[in-house]
Amino acid sequence: MDFEALWLTLRLALGTTAILLVIALPLAWWIASGRGVTRALVQAVVALPLVLPPTVLGFYLLVAMGPLTAPGRLLIRLLGHPLAFSFAGLLVGSVLYSLPFAVQPLVAGFHAVDRGFIEAAAGLGAAPAKVFLSVVLPMTSASLLTSAILAFTHTVGEFGVVLMLGGNIPGATRTLSISLYDLVQDGNYQAANRTALVLMAFAMAALLVIYLLPGMRKTDGRQADVVR
Amino acid sequence: MEGRPTLSDSSKPLLTVRMEQRVGTVALDVRFALTEPWTVLFGPSGSGKTTVLRAIAGFVRPDAGSIARGERVLVDRASDIFVPAHRRPVRSAGQTARLFPNMTVRENAIYGNGWTSKLQDAIEIAEQVMGLFRLKELADRMPHHLSGGERQRVSVARAVVSAITYTGPGTALLLLDEPFSGLDHAVRDDLLTELREWLVRWKTPVLSVTHDVGEAFQLGAEVIKIANGRVVQQGPVSEVLCDERLRLMGQLRAETSLDT
Repeated sequence: MDFEALWLTLRLALGTTAILLVIALPLAWWIASGRGVTRALVQAVVALPLVLPPTVLGFYLLVAMGPLTAPGRLLIRLLGHPLAFSFAGLLVGSVLYSLPFAVQPLVAGFHAVDRGFIEAAAGLGAAPAKVFLSVVLPMTSASLLTSAILAFTHTVGEFGVVLMLGGNIPGATRTLSISLYDLVQDGNYQAANRTALVLMAFAMAALLVIYLLPGMRKTDGRQADVVR
Repeated sequence: MEGRPTLSDSSKPLLTVRMEQRVGTVALDVRFALTEPWTVLFGPSGSGKTTVLRAIAGFVRPDAGSIARGERVLVDRASDIFVPAHRRPVRSAGQTARLFPNMTVRENAIYGNGWTSKLQDAIEIAEQVMGLFRLKELADRMPHHLSGGERQRVSVARAVVSAITYTGPGTALLLLDEPFSGLDHAVRDDLLTELREWLVRWKTPVLSVTHDVGEAFQLGAEVIKIANGRVVQQGPVSEVLCDERLRLMGQLRAETSLDT
């Protein structure tokens, strides 16, 4: 069992989840609060990592971050080193790769909020930011939790992007799933089995949390105002 | 009507509405000006009363026309002005009580003023308004433990608190859509009289929608009668609804004379 890889994986997943929530909350709110060609386009781009082979995403990111393109060269000059094959580069890749898993539950949650509550709040003089924080978010806390758990677990499980973008550098870019691949390549099935079991148990536990939480099975307040 | 309290010394209207809007099969073309402290929009269901209220509140964009609160233009389609709902000197309660499910009755009641510096004043006013609406014992309950009528009262009380504690320049116009439909008549009659005194004292004008003739009489309100998407009459309640009665009587007589 490669504890360095475990620690790195957890750091990557936590960092990715934190960044994703900051991006996904306003993005999902914007997508859910209207319709039109621009929103459809943004939604399609956000959903792209769901259907794209991870290696394709990894390849483009690798090229974009490398010295072959102008933005890549600028990035190298600014940072003093290439973003690819570093933890930061991995973080960027993971954020893009897990974006749909963070955005989509939130969009669904926001869509389910009755517009009447938003109007009621605006009719009491509440600015959109206040409406969002004090009315919409508490009503969609279950979606927020689902979004965070999915982003986290999906990052733990990613392989293709990490391999393309991060290479396989111990302590910097070698995550648990890469370590598992290495162990199998080496024929070390016992260690591979332990690593696989950890990943499996972790995924199962996360999903159990999603399905066990009381708020996830029943309403999360959305329908609480319906007359009994 | 004699001795009616007024809200301003000048005769400038509190609100001017001139709006056109298609709602289903009805083509609304409504023009009126508010001058009295409590005005009631009266008319058959489907005549577009709620749409007018929603346009003033800022939830509906009229197809054409303009709405102004005193000097301040809220909507003007011709010059492309549209002030968003939360920036309007207007506070509203919709027909359905949408109490925020994550807040107690008290928290709901002060929501419209929760973030200003004079929070203590708002809390005090909220307590008084909750008393007025007989909500004191329910103050710490969550909305899902309330009956439909109780929710309706909280919803109106919340809008009243929000209008009274309005901090912008001038005062807020309070819009109420069928505010007392969930109340039994005994409670309603006491409440209406007190509420009217309250809102006059706080210089808060009200525009409400109702089907209930009794309610309009109780308030001694100005009545704007809407039919087929147009304002057909405006005046003191005694006048407008008296005419309404005469018209119905005339209609009845005509029908009976045809039969014989």
